[in-house]
Amino acid sequence: MEEVADVSLILSPQLLAAALVLAAFYALIAIGLNLVYGAMRLLNVAHGELVMLGGYIAYWGFARWGISPLISAVFAVAAGALLGVLLYATIIRRLFRSTRMLARVEANSLLVFFGVSVVIQNVMAVAFTADQRGFSYMDGVLTIGSVRIEENRLLALAIATVACVACALFFRYARSGMAMRAIIQQREAAALVGIDVDRINIQVFALGFGLAALAGTLVSMTAQISPFMGFPFTVSAFVIIILGGLGNLLGSILGALMLAAVEVYGAALISPSFRSILVYGVFIAALLLRPQGLLGRSIAAR
Amino acid sequence: MTRQGWQTGLVLVAATALAAALPLALGTYSLGVALDLMMWIALAESWAMFSGLSGYVSLGHAVFYGVGAYVTVLLWQVLPLWFSVPLGGLTAAALALLLGWPCLRVRGPYFVILTLGISEFIKYAVISTEAALGRNGRLLIGTPSLTVLFEAMLALAVLSMAVLQIVRSARLGAGLLAIREDEVAAEAVGINATAVKLSAFAMSAFIPGMVGGLMILRSTYFEPMQAFSPTTSFTIVTVAILGGSDTVAGPLLGSLFLVLLSELLWTRAPEVYMIILGVLLVAFVLFVPEGLVGRAGRFLRAPKPGPSSRDHRAVVIEP
Repeated sequence: MEEVADVSLILSPQLLAAALVLAAFYALIAIGLNLVYGAMRLLNVAHGELVMLGGYIAYWGFARWGISPLISAVFAVAAGALLGVLLYATIIRRLFRSTRMLARVEANSLLVFFGVSVVIQNVMAVAFTADQRGFSYMDGVLTIGSVRIEENRLLALAIATVACVACALFFRYARSGMAMRAIIQQREAAALVGIDVDRINIQVFALGFGLAALAGTLVSMTAQISPFMGFPFTVSAFVIIILGGLGNLLGSILGALMLAAVEVYGAALISPSFRSILVYGVFIAALLLRPQGLLGRSIAAR
Repeated sequence: MTRQGWQTGLVLVAATALAAALPLALGTYSLGVALDLMMWIALAESWAMFSGLSGYVSLGHAVFYGVGAYVTVLLWQVLPLWFSVPLGGLTAAALALLLGWPCLRVRGPYFVILTLGISEFIKYAVISTEAALGRNGRLLIGTPSLTVLFEAMLALAVLSMAVLQIVRSARLGAGLLAIREDEVAAEAVGINATAVKLSAFAMSAFIPGMVGGLMILRSTYFEPMQAFSPTTSFTIVTVAILGGSDTVAGPLLGSLFLVLLSELLWTRAPEVYMIILGVLLVAFVLFVPEGLVGRAGRFLRAPKPGPSSRDHRAVVIEP
C-alpha cells in the first residue's frame, strides 16, 4: 500500500515519464480501434487480442531464436495486418451484405468480435499455456536529470511516438490516409467521389491491426504477457476513443494522454488496486455525460 | 387460450413434474449438470425477457447474478435463506432500476458497452470493498443439499419461462417489441418508453439475482472475481443467440445445447470448449441470426413467405 501522497509526487518527473510511456502504447492501440470504428462502425472488442499476439511474436522470437524485439516488431506488424485482411475478407464483409444486416452492424460486430476474441485467446492458451511470460531486453536503467527510466521503456516510447507521428502524417498527406478520413466523415459521399470503399476498408483493417500488434511488441519489452492480457487494453482503448471522440484520430492521442495520466497519477495518489475502478469510472462517466454527442454521430452516420 | 396453448401448457406441466422428480433418479454428478441446465435456462429466459424483446442488449447481467450472490453471502447465518435469496433478487432488481435510469437513455451499441463497463466497475468496487474488509473470499459451511438447490433452481427456471411468456403476450411485451422496432415511433403512439424499459429491466434482473444466491450456496465459496465474471454475461447472450431470443423455446434450446457441449468438452478441454463457443457465436450471428428455434420454425412453415415470416425471425439486436 502507498504511504500518504505529498504534493511533490504530482510534480514528479518520474510519474510524468511513466504516464508518457503508457500514453504512447495507448495511443497506438486506440488509433487502430478508432480507425476501424470510424470507417465501418465496427466495435472491435478483439482489438486487445492483437496487442497480445504482437507480444507473443516478440516473446517467441526472442526466447526461441534470440531475435531482437525490434526486428520481431516488423513481423508482428505484417502478421497483424495479414490477420486483419483475412478477418475482413472472411467474416466482416458478410456483416455488410444486406441492408437488414447493415442496420445492426454495430451490435452484430460486437458479438462477432467477441467470438473472435474468445477464439484467439484460447488458441493462444492451448499453444502457450495460460502462464505469464516475459523476457529481458535492454533492461538497464538510464538516469536523465532526476528521472530514472529503463532503456526498454525509453526505446518503446520513442518507437511509439515515431509511429504516432507517422500515422498523423499519413492521414494528412497520403492519398489512402485522406481517403480513410473521407470515409470516416461521410462514407456515401466518399464513395460518390470515386473512393473504392471496400479497398480502403481492407487497408483500414491492415493498418489498425498492424498498429495494435506493434504496440504489443513494445508492451512485451516492458511487461509480462499472457493469453488473457488483451481485454484490459481493449477496455482502455474504448475509453480513449470515447474520450477523444469516435472517428477523431488525433483525439485518440489526446484521450490516450488523459487516460494514462488518470491511471498513473490515480495509482500513485490513491492505490494501485484502484486502477480498474478509475478506468471503468472514467469509461462510465464519458459514456453517460456525452450520450447525445455519441448518439449524434451514430445517427448522423446512418 | 387456444387449444394449442392448452396442449403446450399440459406438456410443460408434465415436463416440470418429471424434472422435479429428477433427484430421485440421478446421481450427484448428473444432478449437478441438471442444476447447471436449470441455471442457464433461468438466466437466459430472464435476459431474453428484456434484451430479446426490447433489442437493448445487456452485457451486464453478471452484475445482477453477482449482487444476488453477494447479498446471500453477506446475510449467511444472519437471515434464513428463504428470505435472503429472494432479497438478493430484490436487491438486483433495485440495482437495475438505479442503473437503468441513466443507462437506458443510451441506445444500441453504447448501451451494450455501458452495461459491460458498469458490471466491471461494480465487480472491482466489490473486490476493493472485500479487500478493505480484509476478506479474501468467504467460505459457506452447511449449505442446503444439492436436491434442495436443484428444486429451487427448477422453480426459478419455470418462473423465468412463465414470466417471459406472460410478458410476451401482455401490454409490456407489446411495448418492448414496439421499442425494438422503432423507439421514436413507439413513443409517438403513446408508449411511455422510459417506464416500459425500466420496469422490464428491473424484472429481468430479479431472477438472475436469486440464481446468483442459489449458485453461491452450491459452490459454497464466494470470490468476487468469479461471482461477477463477465463470462457469465457473455455466455447468457451466446445461449440466447444460439437458441433464438424471441420465444420461450429459444433460450431453453440454447441452454440445453450449451450444457451438452460443456459436458462433452469442459472437463477434458476447457480451451477447446471456449473455442467452439466462440466459433458458434460468430457463425450464428452471421448465418443463423434467427437462432435454432427460428430456423426450425422456418423449416416447419417453409412455404409461407411474406410479412408473417418476419415475426419468427429473432431480431435480437436493433441499434
